[in-house]
Amino acid sequence: MASVYIPVQNSEEEVRVALDQLPRDASDILDILKAEQAPLDLWLIIAREYFKQGKIDQFRQILEEGSSPEIDEYYADVRYERIAILNALGAYYSYLGKIETKQREKEEHFILATQYYNKASRIDMHEPSTWVGKGQLLLGKGEIEQAFAAFKIVLDGDRDNVPALLGQACVEFNRGRYSDSLELYKRALIVHPDCPGAVRLGIGLCRYKLGQFEKARQAFLRVLQLDPENVEALVALAIMDMRTNKVGGIRRGVEKMHKAFEIYPYCAMALNYLANHFFFTGQHFLVEQLTETALAVTTHGPTKSHSYYNLARSYHSKGDYEKAGLYYMASVKEINKPHAFIFPYYGLGQVQLKLGDFRSSLSNFEKVLEVYPDNCETLRVLGHIYVQLGQVEKGQEFMRKATKVDPRDAQAFLDLGELLISSDTGAALDAFKTARSLLKKGGQEVPVELLNNIGVIHFERGELELAEQSLKEAVGDGVWRSFIEGKVNVSTADATACTRLYKDMQIFTQLEADNVNLELPWNKVTALFNLARLLEQLHRMEIASILYRLIIYKYPDYIDAYLRLAAISKAQNNIQLSIELVNDALKVNEKCPNALSMLGELELKNDDWVKAKETFRAASEAADGKDSYSTLSLGNWNYFAAMRNEKRAPKLEATHLEKAKELYTKVLVQHNSNLYAANGAGVVLAEKGQFDVSKDIFTQVQEAASGSIFIQLPDVWVNIAHVYFAQGNFALAVKMYQNCLRKFYHNTDSHILLYMARTHYEAEQWQDCKKTLLRAIHLSPANYVLRFDAGVAMQKFSASTLQKQKRTADEVRSAVAELQNAVRVFSQMAAGANLHYHGFDEKKIDTHVGYCKHLLEAAKVHCEVAQREEEQARQRLELARQLALAEEARRKAEEQRKKQLEKRKLEDEQKRVQQQEEHFRRVKEQWKSSMPASKRRERSDADDEEGGHSEKRRRKGGKRRKKERSSKSQYETEEAEAEIDDQEDEDAHLNYGEPADQMHDQDDEAEENAQGVLAAAGLEDSDAEVEAVPPVNASRRRKAWSESDEEEEQRPESSPVRENSAELQESDGEFMADKEKPNRDEAVDDED
Amino acid sequence: MKIAGLKSVENAHDESVWAAAWVPATESRPALLLTGSLDETVKLWRPDELALERTNAGHFLGVVSVAAHPSGVIAASASIDSFVRVFDVDTNATIATLEAPPSEVWQMQFDPKGTTLAVAGGGSASIKLWDTATWELIATLSIPRPEQPKPSEKGNKKFVLSVAWSPDGRRLACGSMDGTISIFDVARAKFLHHLEGHFMPVRSLVFSPVEPRLLFSASDDAHVHMYDSEGKSLVGSMSGHASWVLSVDVSPDGAALATGSSDRTVRLWDLSMRAAVQTMSNHSDQVWGVAFRPMAGAGVRAGGRLASVSDDKSISLYDYS
Repeated sequence: MASVYIPVQNSEEEVRVALDQLPRDASDILDILKAEQAPLDLWLIIAREYFKQGKIDQFRQILEEGSSPEIDEYYADVRYERIAILNALGAYYSYLGKIETKQREKEEHFILATQYYNKASRIDMHEPSTWVGKGQLLLGKGEIEQAFAAFKIVLDGDRDNVPALLGQACVEFNRGRYSDSLELYKRALIVHPDCPGAVRLGIGLCRYKLGQFEKARQAFLRVLQLDPENVEALVALAIMDMRTNKVGGIRRGVEKMHKAFEIYPYCAMALNYLANHFFFTGQHFLVEQLTETALAVTTHGPTKSHSYYNLARSYHSKGDYEKAGLYYMASVKEINKPHAFIFPYYGLGQVQLKLGDFRSSLSNFEKVLEVYPDNCETLRVLGHIYVQLGQVEKGQEFMRKATKVDPRDAQAFLDLGELLISSDTGAALDAFKTARSLLKKGGQEVPVELLNNIGVIHFERGELELAEQSLKEAVGDGVWRSFIEGKVNVSTADATACTRLYKDMQIFTQLEADNVNLELPWNKVTALFNLARLLEQLHRMEIASILYRLIIYKYPDYIDAYLRLAAISKAQNNIQLSIELVNDALKVNEKCPNALSMLGELELKNDDWVKAKETFRAASEAADGKDSYSTLSLGNWNYFAAMRNEKRAPKLEATHLEKAKELYTKVLVQHNSNLYAANGAGVVLAEKGQFDVSKDIFTQVQEAASGSIFIQLPDVWVNIAHVYFAQGNFALAVKMYQNCLRKFYHNTDSHILLYMARTHYEAEQWQDCKKTLLRAIHLSPANYVLRFDAGVAMQKFSASTLQKQKRTADEVRSAVAELQNAVRVFSQMAAGANLHYHGFDEKKIDTHVGYCKHLLEAAKVHCEVAQREEEQARQRLELARQLALAEEARRKAEEQRKKQLEKRKLEDEQKRVQQQEEHFRRVKEQWKSSMPASKRRERSDADDEEGGHSEKRRRKGGKRRKKERSSKSQYETEEAEAEIDDQEDEDAHLNYGEPADQMHDQDDEAEENAQGVLAAAGLEDSDAEVEAVPPVNASRRRKAWSESDEEEEQRPESSPVRENSAELQESDGEFMADKEKPNRDEAVDDED
Repeated sequence: MKIAGLKSVENAHDESVWAAAWVPATESRPALLLTGSLDETVKLWRPDELALERTNAGHFLGVVSVAAHPSGVIAASASIDSFVRVFDVDTNATIATLEAPPSEVWQMQFDPKGTTLAVAGGGSASIKLWDTATWELIATLSIPRPEQPKPSEKGNKKFVLSVAWSPDGRRLACGSMDGTISIFDVARAKFLHHLEGHFMPVRSLVFSPVEPRLLFSASDDAHVHMYDSEGKSLVGSMSGHASWVLSVDVSPDGAALATGSSDRTVRLWDLSMRAAVQTMSNHSDQVWGVAFRPMAGAGVRAGGRLASVSDDKSISLYDYS
């Protein structure tokens, strides 16, 4: 073991000090050194030895003692050693300063170091080692240029000064001049081939920076050969290994990192890289520990930035966006230029996006885009953000750019499609299809979401077959396939179960018992739901219901499936089951606005008004008033409440109507394109008589509704027709009703037929009216109102025919026939009335019967008159014809006679003429006898009566007109007029009762009677109308209900759309997640 | 199993055609198609040309149903005015005019032996049975009323629309507005039970000719149900029509079902698959009636005929094979 010999003063002896046996207490040595006045180089050697042994305190003690003023004094002429001691201290403190992380201590160390160097300089200005030390110190302080000057001074003096060369190389490296740096390192190595491995480390780093990876690797390896514990080299090699991105490479890299970490646990870079590695292996705890350590040990900006970034990523992936955001922020703060390290910007952008801070997110992503202008991910994210900010155009622009940048990036097309879905389904479909074919070409599995979206768009566009294909592809194989293909027999139920079919889960337990795999992966649920929805559209309810039930069986919280089943059973009028299903849905989420709204509709169907209103309220509250459907339902509720005519309360009606309007308007404010709200507003306006405005609204709604298969808005057609009707445009009204009936109801809605009949009635097209009513009866046999109305129509037809000035006997006969029919209809109803089939007043029907019978009586007379007239006409005709015939015959006879005269057969001919004439007479008599004997007196009576009729009639007619008006207005129900109408209605009743009595009393007085009856007839007519009105009104109310029905129907139908949008959101989420992933991949590339 | 269009007659009636039935062949003539229409006439057509054999007047208000006696000699037609006219097919001589006020008349069917005519009695919630020899009303089969009818409920939910005899003549089924189907024991004139599952009007019913317990029902809920009429169970439910199913008939071999619907189509269903195998869209309006021609010789499917009638005033004839 090496020893030093301290010469004993004034003797030849020396004290041997074994360097490996230095005393623990440096004072012992110091005493000897001082006592023996040992040369200063010995001091330095011993101090260094202490340093090497890690006994820093002793090292410092000796050096500090060695640089004390007394020593200076004593060894004043020993300059070099004194400088060396000072430099050693300076170097020591610069080192301390370099590794110190706390700013204040760091500065203190540097100040001390500076003091020592300055002291050394004072001893000798030109000592190169001092300059080298100063250079290192300046480097450590980050004052690159001054360090450069310091090293230059040394190198100018001695261009082969190795420490200066190394220092200068370091300076050049930091300046980014890697090739210059490399040259300097090389020179140092040439000058001093045995220099420590660290020099080669510099070479390696330069090579690395210059992109000469192989040579860099060699250099690092060489370093490790020389110094197997060189952390930097290990880390560098590890990084290079990791960057190969191959499994083996990464593993080797991680091993090296581990080694480096074991050697020196405070190397920030190693820590960062290890953290990075553990991030990908998902060991977030380690990531945090490592990066926190790294942060504690480094002040180096980029390294810190990297550490913060690692931490941020860790939190980001754990979903702690707040923290992640903070750390990203910290990371970004450490970066001077985004170009140096862009990833934290990306991460920050993502987190801000997630937290909804679109503006900040936008600016961060834009920074990323500046660095990587063609980065697809960034383009897509930007597109997404712009859409979120409402700048859809710009968003699409970015997405399009992304697809252009990489036309084979399926994800970009996917995103573009999702973007376009709300604005341009066609383009969206194209984008999706491109994405699908790209994925298929690439041999990748096409995601379920994509296929689902394609399917749904086809569905929306009404391309049901394509939709089915795509959705089937999306759901793939599973038990549902055997359901769809009908391979599993599913329908067996006994009588008790068949009303509850849609709640039956037995088949699934049965199937499971049979070991059929019922597995339904969560990501296929949506697609399966949509498929079921599609099958519903294709009227394959059985399968659809099974699929819904399967969804519920596997995912009992899937509310939409319950609602669809409820909608199906509602469509089949199974209200009880429907309510149960909705309640099941409410068990899952008692505040689900959709379920509540549906429940409200069902309660309305059950005539549970108060309950329904409460339910709608609850629905509206559950959605914070934002759910337009429940608001609309409330609006409708109010409207219906206003239209109820059982309880007439004008004030209440007005408030209800006002409230309805308010609610519709509220919805319109929220969604200015809500067709139903617009329709509702139109209805309210129409109720107030503003037909032109309402017609405009209806027409616009109708146009808007003609686009999608999910929007079925027959009400607006009906409403337009109502407006036409109210404006007296009967032909157009009928056309509109017909179109609506055909387009939306498969001609099965008897209410609309009733509206049509009413229009025909107003237009006095009795036969059309009757035919229409008969059709309605055929469709809806149990609706006796229709029968009554048909009776009225026939009565009306007959009455008007009989009152015509000119009519043929045929007309009269048909009028009579119709009257008989009317009598039959009315009397049948009268007979049935006591069975309580319908809500008709027996008396009223009796009166109708009576009136019709009376009319029949009268008609007999009419009939006779008509027949007589006809007969007379015919007789006249006949006479003329006879005359003509006789003439002709005579002429012929004449001719013949002439001929006969010539042939002398005149006698025979004359006989024949006589015979002919006789024949004619016989025919004439036959005709005469075939006609009933006519009495002139009766006829004149009839005429008189008729005169009275027509006069009276005209007057009555005027009044009638007015009544019609009022009844019409009642139809449109302006409450005030309705009130009047009400009174009139009652008046009519009163009046009507009287003359009816008169009819019996004054039977003898023919003329008076006729007038009395006529008055009765007039009133009867109007009464009949009034009678006809309430049913219409009632049915209108019903209709209004059906309006809501319809909407209700629309609702579930729109549910897939919602579902859809939910789905879109979902996939949005995935889309986000996806985006994060590639980003993470890129993050591997980072390097500070 | 398929149907192929043979012949269609446009404007066969002046108005919507609402009813169709086949009059079985007699020794002197082949089977004839009987149709009834809103135009108040009943017409007889001779297949396969669908040549108009005769037009019968005598009804007021639309003709809603027609039925033929199994002998092929007499037939009945009924209209909204609730009259049933029984007439001689070949001479059009009126044999009887039936009415049972206040009961209306909807679907009618002769029993398989031809001794009784069953008439769906609408709002009377009953089936009226008429003796075909005396034309006397022999029985009224009433649907029991629910124990506690709600006073609020207007109208009669048990309004009877449709009626069907079991092939052995022992059972009668009737369908009502509320969707329930009621089964009666004819011999004892006794109500047996309800078949549930529909909640909308059942406008047409038919028993399978080969499985006497099997009953098919067509309802406004767009479904066709298959019931075991004795076991009270729903055997199957078939959907596919987009709107009301107005009419249903079973093929004579019992293998196929034909339905007519408001969705303007005629569908052919394979009963073994319980699925629609064919959809005919030749009508342009609701198809109110479908009827298979009864088989002359049993067991042979060839030469089967199916007729359909529609609101579009036309009638169509198809070959069923």
